[in-house]
Amino acid sequence: MASPGGTRTGGAVRDRPMADGGTTGRGTATRRSLRRRRGGGHGWYLIAGTLVSAVFVVPLGWEVIRSLQPESAVIAAPSSASFSHLGIANYQALLSGSDDILRNVINSLIVAVLTAILTALVATLAGYGFALFRFRGSGLLFGVVLVAFMVPFQAVLTPAFLEMHDLHLLNNLAGIGLFYTAFNLPFGVYVMRNSFLAVPQELIDAARADGASVMRMLVWVLRPLIVPGIATSALYAFLFAWTEFLAALTFLTQDGLFTLPVALINVEAGNYGAINYGLLLAGAVIAMIPCIVVYVALQRFYVRGLVSGALKG
Amino acid sequence: MTISTLTGTRHRTGDRRSAQARRNARTGLVLIVPALAVVGVFVIYPLGFGVYISLTNWPLVGSYHFTGLANYSALAHNPLFLGSIVFTLKYTAIVTLPILAVGYGLAVLVRANRPGATIFRTLVFLPFIIGLTTLSYMSVVELQPTSGTANFLLSKLGIVSDTTAWLVHAGLATTAICVLVVWAASGLTMMLLMAGMQGIPEQLYESARVDGASWREAEWHVTLPLLRRPIALSLIISVVGSFLAFNQFYIMTQGGPGTSTVSVVMAIYDTAFTQFNIGLASAMSVVLVIIVGLITFAQFYFLQRKAE
Repeated sequence: MASPGGTRTGGAVRDRPMADGGTTGRGTATRRSLRRRRGGGHGWYLIAGTLVSAVFVVPLGWEVIRSLQPESAVIAAPSSASFSHLGIANYQALLSGSDDILRNVINSLIVAVLTAILTALVATLAGYGFALFRFRGSGLLFGVVLVAFMVPFQAVLTPAFLEMHDLHLLNNLAGIGLFYTAFNLPFGVYVMRNSFLAVPQELIDAARADGASVMRMLVWVLRPLIVPGIATSALYAFLFAWTEFLAALTFLTQDGLFTLPVALINVEAGNYGAINYGLLLAGAVIAMIPCIVVYVALQRFYVRGLVSGALKG
Repeated sequence: MTISTLTGTRHRTGDRRSAQARRNARTGLVLIVPALAVVGVFVIYPLGFGVYISLTNWPLVGSYHFTGLANYSALAHNPLFLGSIVFTLKYTAIVTLPILAVGYGLAVLVRANRPGATIFRTLVFLPFIIGLTTLSYMSVVELQPTSGTANFLLSKLGIVSDTTAWLVHAGLATTAICVLVVWAASGLTMMLLMAGMQGIPEQLYESARVDGASWREAEWHVTLPLLRRPIALSLIISVVGSFLAFNQFYIMTQGGPGTSTVSVVMAIYDTAFTQFNIGLASAMSVVLVIIVGLITFAQFYFLQRKAE
């Protein structure tokens, strides 16, 4: 199954980096009509677009400002005076002392980076194997990976909990990283297989003529061509692991090992003393910032993934 | 092993060729083993194990025995589970069309090949990237009576009183969560539909215009029919996503008041990890997998037929 866009633009999306973050050119006809359109109301387009974007961005910016208010202002009726003492007190309180969220931020980073690296590495190897090597059962095994695509992790949580317990992977950051990797792999393998399939045959033939070994070929010949695929699968894995809540809540039971989204439950419930909504907002903003930075920096890889996701069928 | 073993050994003897094909096959298998192992251990095995557990009276410690389909028949009388299914269906029914409609409108905005479109797309997509967990924490603060921004704005507009306690009434809480989810999730639909729209040749619109079609007619007769697949795909993703909802309810209402906002996944979580009824929770999970599988399958089936 493929979206019309996916089918038609798939090759282009795979082969060249997209400076514009994912749009594919629509050819001269578009440019001509664009010129005509622009005559009539580009100003209106910008105004409408800005207003619509504001609906999605202003609340986020507003939460950043709110997180800079002192706690007393966060829980008081809103007034203009409550914005006169903005500061980083909430962040200081959150990242020090008894409400030490810093370790949870570090836990989240460890899990997210581990998940991203493991997913990219294992998916690259598997994509290589599925795309460029012929062996019996290859199609069937690829089918197994695709079926795993359809299994939501929420639905295997209970048996996975018992299994992780037996494997001593509960309360274990590497364990939860492995669990996340497993549910990011189907997509990653799919993306990487397509990346390898898009490599020109002449290049493989030339490397083969030079007598390159399997690994030499991967690292020295194919790597530059599959880096976008690697970035896509690593990016999805990172964002998944950084924002995941339910599995972390289930598999981690010690405060010191909580990832940031789970640790914020304690802040919300006031387990560190009185309920402090200033701290909660500061914690939520800390959880939000890496997503925005990573996404804005790497969004062309994200959009690439969406297009191939649309192709997945 | 060298790359020359991969393919293209026609000029060699049959013996060497099959030896190379074997080595080649072995290398391929070795490369995919790590992926299969991880997926096998953490996806496939738990799936089967879950079915097995669901047929037992599995305790946290100690021995167990088979109880056949007892857990499944118990589900039919389990008020938490039945309530959660009804609630989740209601929630899914409420958010699905707004996500599609808002996402479609946003896609029309950002599909244009104009300066600014890329930036608008990035900005509109941010809430989806940040994720419902973080957004739920923020919403908890902003939905507080008296101090929350939601009440401040809505009472200025005369819609609600500024003491409205959103999160302690089932109806209000569900409303607030649905608004949050539509706001956060429509960016994904936007992206999927935009990719589809950009694949439609401009010439089709040119000829529609030549035929005197208005913008709306072109949208209805050109865009929509060609967007069937992206629309179906975004529907699958949003329906399945709604059916698996947990975070926003756990964080914002804890399923309350009472059990009025307990989603299916929360019912499973609660049955397994609060009541420690592992067998029953596994039966619920199996039902969930089947429901999600059926939704996906039905949509694909529908889609394939339409595409023919």
